[in-house]
Amino acid sequence: MSLRLAVAAALGALALFPLAGRDYYATLMLPFFGYGIALLGLNLLFGTTGLLSFGHALFVALGAYTAAFLTSKLGVLDLEVILMAAAVAGAVIALPTGLLCVRYVRIYFGMLTLAFGMLFYSFLLKFYAVTGGDEGMRVLRPRLLGLAWTSFSKVEFLTGPFYYYSLAVLVLGAVVMWRIVRSPFGLGLRAIRENAGKAEFTGVDVRRYRLSAFVVAAVFGAVGGALLPIPTGLADPLLAYWTHSGNLVFMLLLGGFGNFFGPVLGAFVFIVLQDQVMSITQYWRFVFGAILAVVVVFFPQGLTGLLDRRQRAGT
Amino acid sequence: MITNRRTFIKVLAGAAAATGARLDVAPALAQAAPVRIGVLAAKAGVTAPVGESGLRGTQFAVDRINAAGGIAGRKVELAVEEESNPKDTVERFRKLALQTKAEVITGGISTAVGLAVGPVSEELKALWLAWDATTQKGVEETIPKPRYAFRSVDNEAEAVMASILTARQLKGKVKTVAGINNDYSYGRDNWAAFLAIMKKFGMNVTPVVELWPKLGETNFTSHVAALQQAKPDLVFSSFWSGDAPILMKQAHAAGLTQGTKFVLTTAGGVHESMKKAFTPEGAIMGYNSLYFEAPNASPLLREFSKWHQERFKEWPNYESDHAYFTIVAYKAAVEKASKAAGGKWPTTEQTVEALEGIEVESLSGRRGYRSDHIMEASYYQGVTTHKNRHDFVTIDPVEVMSTKQIQKPSGTGLYDWINSWSV
Amino acid sequence: MLGGVFHAAVLFLVAAGLQLVFGVQKILNLACGSFYALGAYAGVSAVSWALAAGAPPPIFPLVLVGAGLGLALVGPVIERLLRTIYDRDESFQLLLTFALVLMFEDVIRFVWGTAPHQLSSAYLVYGQLRVGGLVIPVYNLVVIAAGGAIAALMGFLLARTRFGRIVRATAENRGMAEAMGVDVSRVYVRVFTLGVALGTVGGALVIPATAAVNEMGIDLIVEAFAVVVIGGLGSMRGAVAGALIVGIMRAVAVATYPEVEMLAIYVVVIAVLVLRPAGLFAKAAA
Repeated sequence: MSLRLAVAAALGALALFPLAGRDYYATLMLPFFGYGIALLGLNLLFGTTGLLSFGHALFVALGAYTAAFLTSKLGVLDLEVILMAAAVAGAVIALPTGLLCVRYVRIYFGMLTLAFGMLFYSFLLKFYAVTGGDEGMRVLRPRLLGLAWTSFSKVEFLTGPFYYYSLAVLVLGAVVMWRIVRSPFGLGLRAIRENAGKAEFTGVDVRRYRLSAFVVAAVFGAVGGALLPIPTGLADPLLAYWTHSGNLVFMLLLGGFGNFFGPVLGAFVFIVLQDQVMSITQYWRFVFGAILAVVVVFFPQGLTGLLDRRQRAGT
Repeated sequence: MITNRRTFIKVLAGAAAATGARLDVAPALAQAAPVRIGVLAAKAGVTAPVGESGLRGTQFAVDRINAAGGIAGRKVELAVEEESNPKDTVERFRKLALQTKAEVITGGISTAVGLAVGPVSEELKALWLAWDATTQKGVEETIPKPRYAFRSVDNEAEAVMASILTARQLKGKVKTVAGINNDYSYGRDNWAAFLAIMKKFGMNVTPVVELWPKLGETNFTSHVAALQQAKPDLVFSSFWSGDAPILMKQAHAAGLTQGTKFVLTTAGGVHESMKKAFTPEGAIMGYNSLYFEAPNASPLLREFSKWHQERFKEWPNYESDHAYFTIVAYKAAVEKASKAAGGKWPTTEQTVEALEGIEVESLSGRRGYRSDHIMEASYYQGVTTHKNRHDFVTIDPVEVMSTKQIQKPSGTGLYDWINSWSV
Repeated sequence: MLGGVFHAAVLFLVAAGLQLVFGVQKILNLACGSFYALGAYAGVSAVSWALAAGAPPPIFPLVLVGAGLGLALVGPVIERLLRTIYDRDESFQLLLTFALVLMFEDVIRFVWGTAPHQLSSAYLVYGQLRVGGLVIPVYNLVVIAAGGAIAALMGFLLARTRFGRIVRATAENRGMAEAMGVDVSRVYVRVFTLGVALGTVGGALVIPATAAVNEMGIDLIVEAFAVVVIGGLGSMRGAVAGALIVGIMRAVAVATYPEVEMLAIYVVVIAVLVLRPAGLFAKAAA
């Protein structure tokens, strides 16, 4: 199948990227891994289950601050521990918030998630004694697989071991998500998206399924969020602001939420686009708004939708 | 950039001199590649006006430098990237360092950005001359001994100067104080410094209310009401952006400006918005390092003010000075290091060494970098007056204090230093 | 307290715009904050220009309202854009309005730049009122009165006029209204433009007391949306109640426990959404 080929080619390209020697582009790709994982989660919630969250940035920020707290306050530097802690933190916060949110759908779900996101943002900003307030919290360089890689400078670390580690986490996350989506559980979620009433009728516990999707999405969001601030070395409250959630949805839409690879493609394109557009004009927000509008109106299936259409047209 | 006749003539003269009198140098000049200076400037949101101000100071410096032949014979090229949130700004910084291959990067205003960019500058061994963004507490934790990062003046310097002026002018006249500051490090540090200095001077003041509106807030009706209820003798505010005039407008409308003394440590940054209509006389107001009508203004400052007013229909503020200073300091350091290296273009490390302890003429007067990479400058504050030909307040008399007086020396904690004063 | 009511009056105007558009077209317009910002900037420009042209200061509120109404002309244009996705999932509509937020942010920056814009003396043209120990600018009362008047006008418009009946019928059941001969797309354009006008006028009216700054719309959206949730989506009375609650709650929080100033609003929003999801004045069901 050409899909497998495309994925393999993409993976190959990603793996070879840092070796091509352009340090800057390699470091530019690093957020892509974090966002890719977070978006896999968001896609489960929106693409598969049909729930649009405007507060996903909450979990991304939660993961980032978990990494910050563990490294700079508790001295825990093993990235494996950090990622697991982020996953747990995501699940712990997602359970109560999810219980409240999944009782509602569509607009109400969106609004409730936005409110929770902003609540977390206010908390991060105001309780500076705990969170560092607007200054944020430091994220120290973690140990990968038990090794500190001290002989590597930070840039070498980022474009080397850390790059491949993040790639591995993304691939792992994708494999896990693939399994989830293809499982009976995933099937149930899709049934709920199509017609919740009918799904209930066929014995699917709608509420429980939605909550599970919400928690899984949160876990992915937090794990992605934990990877995100490592290149920067700082977790700041803006990670939780509602416009950041908006950007996550933008990426998802850009890539195509109906497709499994959509979110990852969306993250990639968004990052590259942002870099390019920002160098061309200072009014890049306008350009991005226009792009989003065009995608929403003309290409709601996103880039993967476009590719699908072309593929189908070709055959 | 040739923007007026004077510059054009200068360039012409320079070109004529180069081609006519110094034929042996001309080929070298023609071959010398331009030196790229990266600039991180805020373009949107509440810090945007400050970012723009910094860009203007940068442009003014670069225009003059290029008109005079560049830095050690190389023309200056600017590469401007936007300063936004810390994550994106760090990426922009890396781009300037790795992709654009800027030889020095200036800019940086917000504290979170400053904290994030500092370590990156060290990691990449990229020379960074910040305009602002320094919170000593945070920076001490991230890079205690910076090599490549040069930081701005301590963020409490303004509060220190304003507090000293307050103690001098209002000793015995003030019993209760209130603070309304932005709820972030700058606001908190300024208020804390103020209270500590009041105590040191034996002012015996009691804080009756402390308000912490978030940066970007535009509605202070509730805050003003809280101030009215508390009836303080003095209100201290470190507002530095669009919120300063809004606060005064709403305070004035509620009658607060009659009878209450105001201390506005940094409102001079938006001095043109501090209109006479609502800003009282007798307030202590700070302009950071640039006061546009300083009585002993240097010819350079006068030229800049005039150029700024003609070009932008606005009077300049302090960020232009910090930005101008970073460019001019870099030039001086490069030329000094180049001479020491026998005429070759210096390495980054050699430039760093030359920058430490350097002194140059900037818009605000002579200023420089300490050996611990912190800026030195002169700060301008004073008592507001309506006696001028503008529609906004100015200060008279203008007090000038150097950072040697209002900034803690390297290696000391702020409060230890304050305690050590003899008053 | 009165400061809280002043803020509530402005919030009401923006929220009313939100409510109207949601009630009829079922679109949650994130760009309502952008219209508010546009009205504010335009208000400053209009009044500054009018004063420079020699207009007597006391008429400035009329200039402000005029500027707000004038700017509402972007309404039909934006509505045309939104029309392309009326029959799509709500999420898309939300995203399209988010795209508008991004675009308007730069449009404002392009036209008015990044420095704050303000009117220095307009605020006190009507003087001040001394009540007890408090000094209140009369303009605050003017805005509160204007807010009340517009609320009453909206109520009258929706309940008593033919247009109002048509709007309510279309909101209730679009298909039925169409079957009865209502030109639904014309109704939509009018309703949307009215919603935009409420936002722009709100922004224009508040400007003498404050200043127009970058990103003022983005901050307001969250507050307006809190108002709408608390009051109940689609309800005009809900907009009034919600605005008062949010405005007064903020005023009280600032005076007593400033830490929770921002948090309190979100907690209340969440509480309302959980306990009484339809808001205080139940209208639209989930």
